[in-house]
Amino acid sequence: MEESHSNLPTSHLLGSVPAVVSEEKSNITYEVPEANMQTFLSNNNGGGSSRGYQTLRSPPEGFEQQPPNNWKGVFSVSSYTQYFNVDTDVVINRMMSSFYPVGGDFFSKIDANPDLYGLVWISTTLVFVLASLGNCATYLMQKHTDSSASWSFDVGYVNVAACAIYGYAIVVPLAFYFLLQYLGTTASLIRFWCMWGYSLFIFILSSILLVIPVEILHWIIILAAGIDSACFVAVNLKSCIEGNDLTIVVFAAFFLQLALAIFIKAWFFP
Amino acid sequence: MSHSDTIPLHASSQSDIDEIENLINASVQSGPATVLPARPPSPPRIPVSSSPFIPSNLPPLPSTHQKPSFVPSVPSAPPPPPVNSHSSIGASGFGSPPNTLTEPVWETVKRDLSRIVSNLKLVVFPNPYREDPGKALRDWDLWGPFFFIVFLGLTLSWSASVKKSEVFAVAFALLAAGAVILTLNVLLLGGHIIFFQSLSLLGYCLFPLDIGAVICMLKDNVIIKVAVVCVTLAWSSWAAYPFMSSAVNPRRKALALYPVFLMYVSVGFLIIAID
Repeated sequence: MEESHSNLPTSHLLGSVPAVVSEEKSNITYEVPEANMQTFLSNNNGGGSSRGYQTLRSPPEGFEQQPPNNWKGVFSVSSYTQYFNVDTDVVINRMMSSFYPVGGDFFSKIDANPDLYGLVWISTTLVFVLASLGNCATYLMQKHTDSSASWSFDVGYVNVAACAIYGYAIVVPLAFYFLLQYLGTTASLIRFWCMWGYSLFIFILSSILLVIPVEILHWIIILAAGIDSACFVAVNLKSCIEGNDLTIVVFAAFFLQLALAIFIKAWFFP
Repeated sequence: MSHSDTIPLHASSQSDIDEIENLINASVQSGPATVLPARPPSPPRIPVSSSPFIPSNLPPLPSTHQKPSFVPSVPSAPPPPPVNSHSSIGASGFGSPPNTLTEPVWETVKRDLSRIVSNLKLVVFPNPYREDPGKALRDWDLWGPFFFIVFLGLTLSWSASVKKSEVFAVAFALLAAGAVILTLNVLLLGGHIIFFQSLSLLGYCLFPLDIGAVICMLKDNVIIKVAVVCVTLAWSSWAAYPFMSSAVNPRRKALALYPVFLMYVSVGFLIIAID
């Protein structure tokens, strides 16, 4: 068994066992473009592109009740690697494009390769930033008004931040996905999660600015960030729905994002 | 011995089997209870006949210069055992296990402690094997990381003045779940690591932060705390960096390293902020 491992491109990592062996084998068989079950899976995984998106809708060919992406079951790590198939520059590019509220081209940018890396780590970073800088800002505001206030670290901020941010980032795209499915348009849950995840990035930067203990500045910063992020979400959602009479849905998304921004300001940076 | 004709033995397993056979012979000849000295690269002490079947502790070494050496050693292994240790295996087929099962508890604890110390030296302090993830923590264990995580949680909980149990819960959950999630992150990005080896390594890299937490508990000055935490944070990140960065595609190195940095920064912030 060791001999086959030495032929793999990872053989330079001597002494480390590849964690998921089946991935390597399907990568090796990629060059043969036949209607082969294994190759079909690897073609989908490595080549991706719009074929991958459409096959989510079309009935599977060649095998029975399985969706034709690289799904090996809920508990297999390799089924989820298709959603993390991004490089550093791609992630940074997507994060930068979340700053521009006009444009509406985010979905076309991520269409071939939506990723959940942004959702997971941007929301985790936001939880940490809110908990830590929220405590700092609360202390500084108290010091501002009452100079004898002492530092106390409220661990409850971590809990509230985690529940709020993770809840919002997971439930809201899910709700919009089901709503749009019900109203007849096609939607892709992964792309919704991806977009909402990247839309939270601006709150990380604004939280850093919100440490400055000036009340009026708090409101200016959070409203600017909230409107920017909400416009980003709304414009991209509109481009995804393409012209149906669903402006109420777009407005709902806008106001939800703005409500999140105001909640962040009110709870963590009073 | 039945195992030698089914699976080709790892080189160190073969030497372990030779060692165990020598000890069986020695115990038969010289009396009971010669305790095995602690040997870090050997697999966990279990009955002889099944020890080669557990490869998880040791990553296999398919290096070509090893192969010619153990191929001739496999045919040479069967002839000596039937000759001189068939009878000794029959007589003391339980020769090796009782040496570890009946040894004093202090010996077991000492062996585990020495393994923790040697792993710590490999991971946290500079050594020539840093760049190679396979060699860096070949004999990983989870006791060390467990001690360090619990110790850090206890130190933070002790330093806190209110909500002590919540602080411990947050610290423990953050570190334990964080190690698992970081490993999953590398696997999802298409990297190559062994799950438990990575958990073990991330746990050992907490050792500098443990020292920082103890110092911060003793000295309550914010400036000193910030300085100590910065130094120990840099040390922890330096310890974890080569392992994590070599496990993924170079274009995704930052994607794999950033969450590690985030976890250590959040732990560092907890250390500074707890008053």
